[in-house]
Amino acid sequence: MGISLVKGQKVNIGLTKVGVGLGWDPNQSGSGDDYDLDASAFLLDSRKKLPNESCFVFYNNQTSPDGAVISSGDDTTGGSSDGDDETLMVDLSKVNPQVEEIVFVVSIYEFDVRKQNFGQVRNSFIRIYNAATNEEICKYELGEDFSIETCIEFGRLYRREGQWRFEAMGIGYNGGLQTVVNKYAS
Amino acid sequence: MAIKLQKGQTINLEKGLYTLSQVTVGLGWDVRQAPPKGMLGRLLSGQQEDEDYDLDAVAFLLDESGKVRNLGEKLVGGDVIFFNNLQHPSGTIWLTGDNRTGAGEGDDEQIIVRLDAMSPAVQRILFVVQIYQGKQKNQHFGMVENAFIRAVDAKGTEMARYDISGDASFNGKCSMIFAEVYRKGADWKFRAIGDPQETDSFVDILRNYVR
Repeated sequence: MGISLVKGQKVNIGLTKVGVGLGWDPNQSGSGDDYDLDASAFLLDSRKKLPNESCFVFYNNQTSPDGAVISSGDDTTGGSSDGDDETLMVDLSKVNPQVEEIVFVVSIYEFDVRKQNFGQVRNSFIRIYNAATNEEICKYELGEDFSIETCIEFGRLYRREGQWRFEAMGIGYNGGLQTVVNKYAS
Repeated sequence: MAIKLQKGQTINLEKGLYTLSQVTVGLGWDVRQAPPKGMLGRLLSGQQEDEDYDLDAVAFLLDESGKVRNLGEKLVGGDVIFFNNLQHPSGTIWLTGDNRTGAGEGDDEQIIVRLDAMSPAVQRILFVVQIYQGKQKNQHFGMVENAFIRAVDAKGTEMARYDISGDASFNGKCSMIFAEVYRKGADWKFRAIGDPQETDSFVDILRNYVR
């Protein structure tokens, strides 16, 4: 059974390999466009900034330079699987020492042009889990929790006293991925 | 977006940036500088030999089960493109030549792939770089000057680039699994991998891709 986290709640995860899974069902909005959700990761230094742009893992850059975060690839319709359609695999033992935290984001591609938000997407969720046992650490149902939002800072893994911890952030934005890029770009 | 970005370059969030009808993998490095003269100089610099660095770009053509279907005769005439098998029989992938010193500016070796003409039997192509006989010559990527490997799409957009010399994770390593292209539906996709390996021979890596 997964641990259900309230926003801002923190857990000491004591793991080295975790997965972040994003899933949704294929469907079209009123405009006839697919819903294209994206999972991204920002590897941040002690200033809470990207040390360089390659530390932003997303559909155009699917591996972090240290190899710690690897994307399974870009699903543009939600049709890949009944479960997770996009996965970010994280190996915490490989994280560059300069990186203090990893923030996970889910966003809707071209939400503005396609006039979409999470409330319209069917069965969308983002979850983080122990990659060894598949036990869930935290999961958000996006349509219920973020119905009018278009981009969410889901949660972050961060170093504290030599351990990695996870904090469920659940911060929604009415912007796209660019909003979060602007926040963390140095 | 290329893996390595120049400072100040904005992150491009647009999708479908690459035109993958053709991909070119370019490998470049600098000719080895002569080691210090005299026995003492050589001892101090740790350089016993003054042999050139010979880097090689290699490609494995993989089928739907992720294996090399045709190993040819000692890899000649088969689905592995390397210095002894410069061109695939299909003519859809070839190596521009075997540069053994790094002489020349820019890419010193290129593998060019016509993805739009590739046989349907080929589902994935993996690109590898190695230092030829690097172990025997006591060489590794950390010693080679200005070594890089990059991949460019049909329109000349650089999709990924690793500066092998400057990166601590490649220090002491003699080969790397660089990147792959793979079919997704009717399209080809590119993925950077950048996985450094101890071995100086692509054949050790190839073992994971044969039946």
